Amino acid sequence: MRRLLPRLILLVLLALCGPLPAQAEEGTYTLTIKDHRFAPTEFEIPAGRKITLIVKNLDSTPEEFESLELHREKVVTGGQEITVYVGPLRPGRYEFFGDFNPQTARGHIVAK
Amino acid sequence: MFATAVIVLREVPQRFGWSGSPRRGGFAPSLSRVGAVLAIGLGAAATAAPAQAEFKLRYPFVDYREIELEHNGDTTFDKSKSGKNNNQSYTNEIEVGATPFWLVGLEAESGALPGENLRYEATTVENVFQLTPQGKYWADLGFFAEYSHAASRHDADSVTFGPLIQKELSDVMGTDTVHTLNLLFSKEVGRNRTDATPFFYAWQSRLRLDPHFEPGIEIFGQIDDVEAPGKLADQQHRVGPVVVGLHSLAPYGKIKYEVGYLFGLTHATENGTVRWRLEYEIPF
Repeated sequence: MRRLLPRLILLVLLALCGPLPAQAEEGTYTLTIKDHRFAPTEFEIPAGRKITLIVKNLDSTPEEFESLELHREKVVTGGQEITVYVGPLRPGRYEFFGDFNPQTARGHIVAK
Repeated sequence: MFATAVIVLREVPQRFGWSGSPRRGGFAPSLSRVGAVLAIGLGAAATAAPAQAEFKLRYPFVDYREIELEHNGDTTFDKSKSGKNNNQSYTNEIEVGATPFWLVGLEAESGALPGENLRYEATTVENVFQLTPQGKYWADLGFFAEYSHAASRHDADSVTFGPLIQKELSDVMGTDTVHTLNLLFSKEVGRNRTDATPFFYAWQSRLRLDPHFEPGIEIFGQIDDVEAPGKLADQQHRVGPVVVGLHSLAPYGKIKYEVGYLFGLTHATENGTVRWRLEYEIPF
């Protein structure tokens, strides 16, 4: 056990830090926030593929990109942008919203 | 504890230059208002004398600009004369996503050994460092480190650290799944310390059926000293079902919960343990 345990831990770490599959070919999509609304409010992505989502906050106040269905939440401060990695997703419609302004900041990602 | 919470909540935002300006068009909790709520929360926690929750799964993520109030607890079940029945442990904690990659928390720990009264056990500062962006690589990696200051002069302080790993697997027989692994080592420091190196592991796999209700299975284990692990029967290993979920209160934050029952797998482990976790998060 004394020798086995460090090796097992090393194995896990190596597996994580090894040649990770760079998602260079993944699609990149941009979402903007202005006047506490997302634009576009709906867009399509290919199902079964990981995508990169750039969220640009054009407002001066912070917003939090959040989706319970995508299991993502990330604050984007005013005038800044964040990167959110999503998927791969099964075909379907996934809701996202701004946690600070959920009445106005809402949208959907449609995976087809 | 109450004063510490107030100081932390007042000073940390200033150090990081957070304005705490209210937002337009929605709930706008000022930092002072949030701070007051959290200070009351931790103050209440401290007076209730929390304890080290041994069965807490940690995730390799930092929710930047979020404050989290968290309660963890567990209690054991065994034969009344086994000396393993009704062992209780509680923690109450305030955590702040101070930077996009650093979460820091202040934790009050209490517990009660079988047949004994609940007592305050330790005050702990814990940190989670998010090492990889969520979802970017094959797995998500974080690092956990905490320093625990014992409340009793007869107990030793300790440091605990190790990797936190999570892997999302989508469309496993039509269902998305998430798997989390903690591998933590501990070392006592200061007076009353021993040379032992305890090792704790935790594994949780769950089905993402619905954000409000995600059932799964989890395993918790403990080896008192990795240098002398002893027989398997002397180690503590537990496995059992768990349910995890959350409910959004946007723009008032969200509530998260975890409830699990663990069956003891070895002679040294209690027959059963109920563990729970309740968390309130609010961004600022």
